[in-house]
Amino acid sequence: MINLLYAAFLLLVAGAIAVAAISRHKGACGWAALGFVSAASACLIYLAAYVFFEGEVKAVGLLNLHPLIGTSLSVEIDPLSALFLIIISVISFCVTLYSIRYIRHYEKESLLRYYPWLLLFFASIVGVVCMTDMLFFIIFWEIMTLTSWALVVYERENKESLKAGLIYFIVTHMATGCLILAAVILYSYTAGPSFSFEDLRAVLKTQLIVNPALVHGVLILFFIGFVTKASTLPFGFWLPLAHPVAPSSFSAVLSGVMIKAGVYGIVRLFCSILPISTCSQTWGIVIALFGTFSIFIGTMSALTQDDSKRLMAFHSIGQVGYMFLGIGAGFYFLPVNSALATIALVAGLFHMVNHSWFKSCLFLNAGSVLYKTGTRDLNKIGGLFRIMPWTGITALIASLSIGGIPPFNGFASKLVIFESTIIAGKEVGAAILARGLFVILGLAAIFISAVTLASFLKFINSAFLGKLRGVEETSGSDVPLSMQIPQGVLAFLCVLFGVVPLLPVTIVYKAVSGALPAGLCPALASLFGKVWPGISLDFGVGRVSGVWDPLWIIVAGVILIGAVGFMVRAGGAKVRQVETWYGGREHLPAETSYRGHSFYGPFKQIFTFHFKSIEFRGLYPTRFSLPRITMPKGMRIFLNPDQWFYYPMGRLFMKLTHGLSRSHTGHPQMYLLWTAIGVILVICILLYLPAK
Amino acid sequence: MSAGWTIGVAILNLFLALALSPLLEGCARKLRAIIHSRIGPPIIQPYYDLAKLLGKEDLRSSANPLVRMAPLACLVSVAIAALLIPMGTFNASTGTFEPPLGAYGDSILFIYCLALTAVGTIITGAASENPFAFIGASREMMMHLTVEPVLAVALMAAAINARSFRMGDMALWYHAHGPAPSMILAALFLFLALQAQIGKLPFDIPEAEQEVMGGTFIEQSGPQYALLRWSMMAKQIVFCSVFCQIFIPWPMMGHIAWDVLIHLAKVFVLVLILALIDVVNPRLRIDQSVRYYLHLGFFSLSAIFVALAGF
Repeated sequence: MINLLYAAFLLLVAGAIAVAAISRHKGACGWAALGFVSAASACLIYLAAYVFFEGEVKAVGLLNLHPLIGTSLSVEIDPLSALFLIIISVISFCVTLYSIRYIRHYEKESLLRYYPWLLLFFASIVGVVCMTDMLFFIIFWEIMTLTSWALVVYERENKESLKAGLIYFIVTHMATGCLILAAVILYSYTAGPSFSFEDLRAVLKTQLIVNPALVHGVLILFFIGFVTKASTLPFGFWLPLAHPVAPSSFSAVLSGVMIKAGVYGIVRLFCSILPISTCSQTWGIVIALFGTFSIFIGTMSALTQDDSKRLMAFHSIGQVGYMFLGIGAGFYFLPVNSALATIALVAGLFHMVNHSWFKSCLFLNAGSVLYKTGTRDLNKIGGLFRIMPWTGITALIASLSIGGIPPFNGFASKLVIFESTIIAGKEVGAAILARGLFVILGLAAIFISAVTLASFLKFINSAFLGKLRGVEETSGSDVPLSMQIPQGVLAFLCVLFGVVPLLPVTIVYKAVSGALPAGLCPALASLFGKVWPGISLDFGVGRVSGVWDPLWIIVAGVILIGAVGFMVRAGGAKVRQVETWYGGREHLPAETSYRGHSFYGPFKQIFTFHFKSIEFRGLYPTRFSLPRITMPKGMRIFLNPDQWFYYPMGRLFMKLTHGLSRSHTGHPQMYLLWTAIGVILVICILLYLPAK
Repeated sequence: MSAGWTIGVAILNLFLALALSPLLEGCARKLRAIIHSRIGPPIIQPYYDLAKLLGKEDLRSSANPLVRMAPLACLVSVAIAALLIPMGTFNASTGTFEPPLGAYGDSILFIYCLALTAVGTIITGAASENPFAFIGASREMMMHLTVEPVLAVALMAAAINARSFRMGDMALWYHAHGPAPSMILAALFLFLALQAQIGKLPFDIPEAEQEVMGGTFIEQSGPQYALLRWSMMAKQIVFCSVFCQIFIPWPMMGHIAWDVLIHLAKVFVLVLILALIDVVNPRLRIDQSVRYYLHLGFFSLSAIFVALAGF
């Protein structure tokens, strides 16, 4: 079975080389990349399914570096890795298919700088989630960072993208530096030289008793390394810069797959590597607090954005916050109430899976709008539903999903997050302060969920509804089929995971219980499985405390829709198309358009304020001037050798040669005279030499 | 629980929320007329209005299919919300308050069903392509943003007390465990938010006929408008029922006919109080209302703290 992993990896790497070779053929290049990626995706999905049904697959000591540095390349695919492999394979397939036509609208750019990097990126992230050795984990992590950077700066003539790329490069490398430092510190404590997760776990286990401060120090480093990638505020400030400038297809990957690598790192570290103790409780609170901070600030600032992709990028920060809220609550309650902890962890990871579907879909929608209208500015477009109905419908489904509207998938995962944090208020085993804290965090998450909905209704309203703007009326139909299919697939997954929530919950539950020490999690049926195919939540009190079973709700809804529809039809009203009514006056649509910027003005006003010279727009600092760093004057002069060395030397040389140049008068007689003098001189010398 | 009981209660809930809501609206109108020293329309006037609107010509300013679907979603989501709350239906044989769909959805679903109603209104307005409707949509969303937290906090205070998110368990807990300070606080805050939840003065800012000519409803006519108006009326009953059943679950006779009648009487009184507030108040501006509800939402957290302290 492990051969499938090698096959997928080799397919992706070989694909990168092959695609690079044919990158001049624009059509063939995309299809070839799609072929390689879909073959690799099929392998990975089959492998993941095998892992879920049959148990984990591992291979130890593939590349033994023991004499050198004390490590060996070992892979292990447990259900947690398999969960990520499913996300990676679905998103990679959708994005590669989408790219075929989308990337060709960047006419100036070469495909050589897109597909090979994209395939290498997929290969590296497959490596990241399968490693059980810290050294190789970091190596693949670094390849992932570099390839993603190459794709962020795809538009290399665009100053904005170069600047965002530079910030991304610096920030993520500082994060990688933290990871390396933490790994090396632990390495120095291992019994024999080793980077493997098991040995690191043993080190942490002894150090927790001997020297807890060291453990906390190492965890801080790991935490910074992972949450920077997962773009939790205040470490994730690179994300709102990098996501909008990357090609939309790759923005979908950044948001749908890459920031999840940070979530994977956190879950793997705290579930599988760190032994469960009071230490994981402390860090649970820290993770939940950082998560809620991101939820609040990220989503509030998203509300003030008018750039479609920047809006979504801020929401990525917010949604990662939801995942961390669930995961953090899970870590906190692991030693107290394993049922509640398992439900909270499942909630966080379930939301992560859902976020991959709806956020990738939304980025592809924004890409389609960009493809059709050439702008990301929500103030310049409108009414696109008329010419792009398919994109509009998928965008609506994804927006309602992210806003947590039933029966879509976002509702199911948010419900579990809300309930598992709020029920913590009655968890007698926990400290009263922590209980209160989690309840407040859960309520903040409920409030922000409505803000998310508001923000995406603004996107839908200003881009797809209203009067047609930003594109010619006659500009034809929707985006090409190869761009519609990926959006449709992702929107379908949103609906499927919402209507049958027990399916993804079962998968995620297996991932969580596989990553935690064996025997810790209560059985799935006792936690979730009282109603089928919905989910019922039992927080270890022996009765169902919360429930979401979409099947019967939908049946009731369909019956009601039928009844009301019948009643409307029985009314027999005629339908007539009329002009828009502007209060009795004649107006052109262009004069009366309501732009995206105008939405929610008074609400945004409350959360926009100045602090000294910094403007906080939606609680996020914008437009601030960094303090100027000045150096001593002597230093500045010393660092500028032009001033005191090159230019003076140059001037001196010029002055010297100026005298010589005067001898070039231009008269032939003069040159003849010089020649004659020269000849005489030479003869004199020749005569003189033998005499000596 | 028997299927017959569930279906019977479902029909009863739908009857109260959908069929009886225009009657209560008619009573509220009559009260308004009395205060204005008018005779006013007969109290079954809202039924006439709905019947008339259902047969009137449907004028559409946009060919967008969402114009047709969104009002339907609005009404159906309110009806589902009505099926998620107990309306005086105490099942003496099992000793529960279980609402008809209570086994399939809990209070979070209830909150989000009402969010779906707001979404339906907003999409209807925006799809009609009228700039006034956009203003109304923006206001509707801002109201929802600031009012929803108060409802959520009140219901979550009940959930923390009952240690369950199911509406039936909450009602049962409060009925059994007598008046609790946290629930009284939550009821107070929820009462202050009711006026905005059901879209009455001084918080009917999204419609604001004198300013934005009905806001999201400006282009609506015929059956679409009938559905939207009907969902507004049904929403009033749903909110009043939640208030009366979860936060004031007394008195209870233990016999279903009496309990439903008592519930209806409580809802009737509450509707009249809300109508009274509606008549004697002018409309607020949207920024005033947003600030008011943000503060209210913040202070309503006190109910949570009291509930956490175990009172």
